[in-house]
Amino acid sequence: MLQNTKCECGHQNPIGTILCESCGKPLVDDLPADLPLEMRYDGVARRSQKQQPNWLDRVWNFFSSVKVAVILIVITLIGASLGSIFPQEDTLASSVDPSEFYRDQYGTWGAIYHALGLSRTYQSWWFIGLLTMIGASLVICSLDRVLPLYRALSKQQVRKHLQFITRQQVVYIGEVDADPAEWVRQASELLKRKRYRVWTEGDALLAEKNRFSRWGPYINHIGLIVFLLAALIRVMAGWSMDEFVQLDEGETKQIPGTDFYVKNNRFTLEMYSNEEMPKELQGASVVKLYETDATLYKCTANCDDLTKEPVLEQVATHKIRVNSPLSYGGYSIYQNSYLQYAVPKLVSVRPTLVDAKTGKSYGPFDLPMQNPPLTYKVGPYTLKLIDIFPEFGLDDNGQPMSKSRSPNDPAFVFRITGGDLPKEGETYFYFALPKSKGIEKQINEAAAKQHQNSGRFSFEVRMEDTTRSNFMSGLEIRKERGMPFIWVGAGISMVGLMMGFYWQHRRIWLRFDDRRLSLGAYTNKNSYGLRAEVASFLRGMDIDVSPKALDNRRSTR
Amino acid sequence: MKRHRRAIQYLILTAVLIIGGLAIGRSFYHPSAVLKPGSDAPAFKLLGLDGQAHALSDYRGKPLVLNFWGTFCPPCRQEMPTLQKEYEKWQGQGVQFVGLNLSEDRISVQNFVDGYGVDFPILLDRNREIERLYGLREYPTTYFIKPNGQIEDIIVGGPMTAQDIESRVQRLLQP
Repeated sequence: MLQNTKCECGHQNPIGTILCESCGKPLVDDLPADLPLEMRYDGVARRSQKQQPNWLDRVWNFFSSVKVAVILIVITLIGASLGSIFPQEDTLASSVDPSEFYRDQYGTWGAIYHALGLSRTYQSWWFIGLLTMIGASLVICSLDRVLPLYRALSKQQVRKHLQFITRQQVVYIGEVDADPAEWVRQASELLKRKRYRVWTEGDALLAEKNRFSRWGPYINHIGLIVFLLAALIRVMAGWSMDEFVQLDEGETKQIPGTDFYVKNNRFTLEMYSNEEMPKELQGASVVKLYETDATLYKCTANCDDLTKEPVLEQVATHKIRVNSPLSYGGYSIYQNSYLQYAVPKLVSVRPTLVDAKTGKSYGPFDLPMQNPPLTYKVGPYTLKLIDIFPEFGLDDNGQPMSKSRSPNDPAFVFRITGGDLPKEGETYFYFALPKSKGIEKQINEAAAKQHQNSGRFSFEVRMEDTTRSNFMSGLEIRKERGMPFIWVGAGISMVGLMMGFYWQHRRIWLRFDDRRLSLGAYTNKNSYGLRAEVASFLRGMDIDVSPKALDNRRSTR
Repeated sequence: MKRHRRAIQYLILTAVLIIGGLAIGRSFYHPSAVLKPGSDAPAFKLLGLDGQAHALSDYRGKPLVLNFWGTFCPPCRQEMPTLQKEYEKWQGQGVQFVGLNLSEDRISVQNFVDGYGVDFPILLDRNREIERLYGLREYPTTYFIKPNGQIEDIIVGGPMTAQDIESRVQRLLQP
């Protein structure tokens, strides 16, 4: 059954058209009689409304519906809020087992939460599916409306049907004692000065202002689509990285998963002095500055070869402060945390080898607490490191062992050869911490009794020969290649919002039928402003009428 | 525009299906951070005490007992002789024993290994990288890995008894 959509003006309209595309005459009979005309999208049909929709049309219509889009958004909001009830899985430390954690920490509810997959809400199939559907809806809703709107607004008729004009928001009908064409010409001059764009057709006129503002919402949607795509693709393409590195002062470590190495040259913690603080906070301890002076290196050779030391080349250096990261090659290194050692941690010492027999001393030489070299040439002697105990202790059999991997009480066993010593040389136990000197003496004396050393050698380390780390600096390394796209999407969105909010699309139609002037005006926003502007225009044409009298809306706002 | 309406509709819906499908499909695949029997043993490449680089893939094709240990960990030290004995016992049947040291100095490891008479290969982890990869929570931890690279069983803590090791090695040897 073909619905007759041919208007009395002769124009053939698509199905679903509310106002004739050409003359604006209302085609649908059941519009409320006492309200102004429904001017949404200028009364043109949405693209998708058809007589006999097939499956493709049905899918399209589903996504084209704003009602459906709002429902999708509400469901997504509720789903997202569920993800905030308990901490998500990706916030847990990597050593924690999720299936045990939720049950242990939160009981039965926790177990249910985990079993339902809610502990991974934002990566779950249904959440991503919802986001995809919202994205589809964004595209299809916009496309379905913007194309007909564009067509309607570009091909506007100047002389509109009387029913169209007299049922607008702002209406004036009156007799004018002047030549219509001349009146229209004067009116068009006046309106042009009010920054309208004017078209005239004899005794009919169309004045339009700020049409570009109508495209605002669609530009906004384009921005949102870019934003959404960037958010989806960044997860799929591995565009993001988040790693943590803890460094003592002077330490260099590799950034996991990259060819970069970062060094903590120095960590500074500054507090506000009493002079800098207001009266109420005198004596309080408030941090002024967290800063890591860091250097970034790139491995240029031997990077994957485990048997060789990687060759490093300095590429960047920066004093990393909170919100002032070291940026290089797409990576950003932030200050994440720090630890202040109650007792500064020993990093390296420079001992001098003292020979009690001759009274001579040799060196000093550098002895780092972690990863020390195995051989040292000190004067005529060669020192070879034959054992290391980062935290010296004894096992159940009274044999030396280390109690941990951290250099909390380092002990080094050297074999000294060369010079005037016999071929097998001597052994010497060196304890780095001053508090362990007692044990050092005991062990070396016991070794002397077993003829393993002669007791003539000792290491001398002065205070200024020790390097300590007062702080451990926690750095966070992030890479986010999706950021530029997200900024672009957000920027486009903002431009669209501004276009739509700060300007209003106004149109004024008028026509003469003999001496009777019919004027109708429409705007998508700020109709009070339009009333006032039309009243001011009419006053300029010597027609005195109050803005309120122009208002055609009988329903109370 | 009107002529291409159908084409555009198909194009947009196809694009939605592809991007949405990829995103949703990927959400189903999330490697569990915690290793369990049945998980694949994560790959690694480390320097051994022998000075050569060894990868996990080198041990594929035969059963593998991977023991994470350190000289600072008393139960690790206590179970070493047991591990050495089991290594000698099952060597003939192709069962591989590998010790993965928890990022200690090479010289400490070498001295311990020499002192305890350990023969099986020892690999040296650096900066706790592999122990973090395996999500280790306690020392020692021993992984019994099938010839195809899948983890058959995990023993957390120690020291292990000969029976602990043997019962699992036997399961590894089953086809």
